[in-house]
Amino acid sequence: MAKRLLDFRDRTAVAGVGYTPFTKDSGVSTLTLACRAVLAALDDAGLGPGDVDGLATHRVGDSAAPTLVGPALGIRDLSWHLDQFGGGSVSHAVVGQAALAVAAGVAETVVCYRAINARSEFRMGGTGRGLPASPEVQYQAPYGLFAPPQQYAMYARAHMLKYGTTAEHFGRQAVTQRANAVKNPRALMRAPITLDDYLASRWIAEPFRLLDCCLETDGACALVVTTAERARDLRRPAVLVSAAAWGGGESHLSGGPADPTTTAAAALAPRLYGRAGLGPRDVDVAQLYDCFTYSVIVQLEDYGFCPKGEGGPYAASGATALDGELPVNTHGGFLSEGYVHGMNHVAEAVSQLRGDAGDRQVPGAEVALSTAQPGYVLPATSALILRKD
Amino acid sequence: MRPVFQVATDRDSAPWWERTGRGEFAVQRCDACGRARFPARAFCPACRTERWHWEAAEPEGTVESWIVNHQAFGAGDGEPYVVVMVRPAAVPDCLLHGGWRAAREPVGGERVRGVFTPGASGLTLVDWEPAGE
Repeated sequence: MAKRLLDFRDRTAVAGVGYTPFTKDSGVSTLTLACRAVLAALDDAGLGPGDVDGLATHRVGDSAAPTLVGPALGIRDLSWHLDQFGGGSVSHAVVGQAALAVAAGVAETVVCYRAINARSEFRMGGTGRGLPASPEVQYQAPYGLFAPPQQYAMYARAHMLKYGTTAEHFGRQAVTQRANAVKNPRALMRAPITLDDYLASRWIAEPFRLLDCCLETDGACALVVTTAERARDLRRPAVLVSAAAWGGGESHLSGGPADPTTTAAAALAPRLYGRAGLGPRDVDVAQLYDCFTYSVIVQLEDYGFCPKGEGGPYAASGATALDGELPVNTHGGFLSEGYVHGMNHVAEAVSQLRGDAGDRQVPGAEVALSTAQPGYVLPATSALILRKD
Repeated sequence: MRPVFQVATDRDSAPWWERTGRGEFAVQRCDACGRARFPARAFCPACRTERWHWEAAEPEGTVESWIVNHQAFGAGDGEPYVVVMVRPAAVPDCLLHGGWRAAREPVGGERVRGVFTPGASGLTLVDWEPAGE
């Protein structure tokens, strides 16, 4: 167990959120998207670029680095910056690391952003894109396996075989999230869908249909992280960062348990809850990384909201709907709002805790869980627990 | 048919691919603790020893999962193809992938046998077929 070196819980806060519109073709560079989202988040907080001394992002060779965005906004000296390599699994790690930097005093006001043209330039789903530069690829790509929907479909079927999870379970979660997106003016997909619509959507990689998959999106999202004290003096209600956690455990490579039906979130969750001094029953609203319907199902289990193997029936019961016991992906999620690779989950959690989520507001929401991609091929994930001040 | 992807092997994996090229399904075995591992790496994940030998194994395993791909993610003719996830009998604490070589879909848990197949980048791939059919 790591020694406790830093008093972290509730010492930092998210003071502002900003978005660009979500589209299928932004028509601008990722640098422009990043600048727009950063400025929007600062404006939300009542701050300007002159107040910023830290910038953080993650990317996979598809976006603008903090050391490019800073000068583009006339920020002359970044006392802290983070250019994390990685995809969705590190999305929440970026915010957690920014909060750590603020808590440690090496920066006071950090803007975290993710800016992508994930439909018009670098297709996140893998279509038409080159192979990632990773040694594992050589054992998969020659067989026609490399795109994220294929990888997750493989895990989804393993879960179906082991636990009896069904297409209807996946479909119910897709339908629930679309109903939330109907109430979200920012969402790309706002037409309601039924289970029959889900079942009639075309195959991508069986057992996944089109409506199991998130939306390849052009857009950016940014968050302002600062000390709790400073956030309380700013324009918007402060949303406290109660806990951040990093971790991983499961892999299909030799040396791991090689259980394709469990994710790295199972190892991370106790650490995350422990740091917040909370448990799954304290969570009022959860933004669970939904690159695919199945990733929601498996995280409902691995974050302790239902017993292992029962994520499908739990989601299909209506428990994850806006009026259910655990509203999940209240903005519509990546399946229906848009996919900014994780950052828009954190932003929605902030909105719910500030009480400004409009028609999709969860009444009385005080504690939110927001999670990163729970790990595939190589085990890694990250997550945050945020709390109303 | 599956699309053709050119992939790069590396200094760890070259001996594995050399062996598949000879029609051999080999695993790395730790010289110190005897544990088998896949894919090829220098250190034993159990005892951290950096000495090993290659050992021929039967290309046998069981089906853990599979997909039927429809989306044309890469260059290909767009026809659906099946990729299986196999738990190899010789290294049961890992999962590996391969093409499916049968007219029917796989069945969860069924026993399968490796089939050596010429592939892209001059590599010999290991596909899988039902054992004993």
